[in-house]
Amino acid sequence: MLLRLTDISRFYGQRLIFKGVSLTLEAGSVMLLTGANGAGKSTLLKIMSGLTAPDSGTVELLLSPGAQIGYMGHQTFIYPQLSALENLRFWSRLHGLHGKQEKSLRQEPAQKSVQKPAQDLDQKLAWALDQVELTRFAQEKAGVFSRGMAQRLNLARILMLEPQLLLLDEPSTGLDTRSRAMLDREILKAKERGAAVVWISHALTEDLPKADLVAELGPVSKKSTGLAYFGPADQFKAYKEVREHA
Amino acid sequence: MSSTPSFLSSALIIGRKDLTLLLGRGTGLAQAFLLGLLIIFIFSLSRGIGETVSAQAAAAIFWVATLFCQVLVFTSLYALEEVNGQRQGLLLAPAPLQSIWLGKGLAGLIMLLLAQLLFLPAVAVFLDQEPQGTLMRGLLCILLTDVGLAAAGSLLGALAQGQAARESLLSIVIFPLLLPLLLAAISTGAEFLGGGVPSGDGENWLRIIMAFDALFLAAGLLLFGFIYNSRE
Repeated sequence: MLLRLTDISRFYGQRLIFKGVSLTLEAGSVMLLTGANGAGKSTLLKIMSGLTAPDSGTVELLLSPGAQIGYMGHQTFIYPQLSALENLRFWSRLHGLHGKQEKSLRQEPAQKSVQKPAQDLDQKLAWALDQVELTRFAQEKAGVFSRGMAQRLNLARILMLEPQLLLLDEPSTGLDTRSRAMLDREILKAKERGAAVVWISHALTEDLPKADLVAELGPVSKKSTGLAYFGPADQFKAYKEVREHA
Repeated sequence: MSSTPSFLSSALIIGRKDLTLLLGRGTGLAQAFLLGLLIIFIFSLSRGIGETVSAQAAAAIFWVATLFCQVLVFTSLYALEEVNGQRQGLLLAPAPLQSIWLGKGLAGLIMLLLAQLLFLPAVAVFLDQEPQGTLMRGLLCILLTDVGLAAAGSLLGALAQGQAARESLLSIVIFPLLLPLLLAAISTGAEFLGGGVPSGDGENWLRIIMAFDALFLAAGLLLFGFIYNSRE
């Protein structure tokens, strides 16, 4: 078990978003978090990350020592006045990744492409930029990036950390088809190296086959806690059909 | 995998980034510096022809200029994290939260010292002051006062951030709290400029400055985590 939420509830002012939400996530699994607008998906994701405290309930997170959480929210965390490389360097250092100075990357950005994360920080930054196809924009100010490029840089920030828990809030927003394919690839890679992924998505048709688990948030009522479904992804379609016929 | 950066190294990483952004952008910085210079210039207009400004009044004007500059500097420093939600990124980093306070405090301290490099000659020129005291002692008093201003500014800058009218809110919160420190700074400043110490002796005022430094540093360390993490 990597993450366990027990009996979580959360209010926004007077409005109860969800109550008694309990779910467990194992290492190496991908969970799709879905539900209507305002159902509390982003809030639940923030609770998982530790950014927001639940009003009641417990969050257990069993990360290995030194392991990171990769959180990709609606905002990109990018400093517009810094270059793409400077942005990545700042976040990597703040997360405790160390290495030499970047001179080699400045000289030969295109030649630093490697297949998997390297130990040296410069190589790691180059690798992360390469993964999101931003190597040739490494020295450009991030403020001039399009929404899609900024989102790719945000993804590079996450990849560089090699997080054990990856929390993605509608990560494909602003991405073109090619970048979405790249995102899918990276999620698969994260899963293969044993990371757990929680992924908020509205594109169920496209994203359901990539998930192992689905958690659907619905309206809170006397009968429902707000967690309408939590179970295997391959049974979610059948559940939806039964519910629609009921 | 990675190692959690230490409190100090995280603070230095954040402080360095903030200085790069503020010095690189320049606009917020120019506003803060110009406001301070304007304050000194406008006060200089209040004296009549042939009149001299007392050392204590000159020191008070110097610190009022510094104080308004401080408000703008710390508002700018915390605004850097509000553009693209970077505050959440800082909160998720494994470093202690207080390293944000210290990093921004260090960046703010350097900015204040840079501003005072302009304000000191401006006071000498516009207010017709010739420092009579020991230079090292004068600089020590300025540095110690700035440490307190930076510690309090970094703490209260976080409090005001994200609020409407944050500059005015920061001013309202910070000015009353800094009054004792400012009184001490004005007295030691007056001593440095050659007007003598108006009340008490210089050593006592210096001790008051150090006591408030310690108070603001302790408050920053203890309270910053609650303040910066409490808006979700």
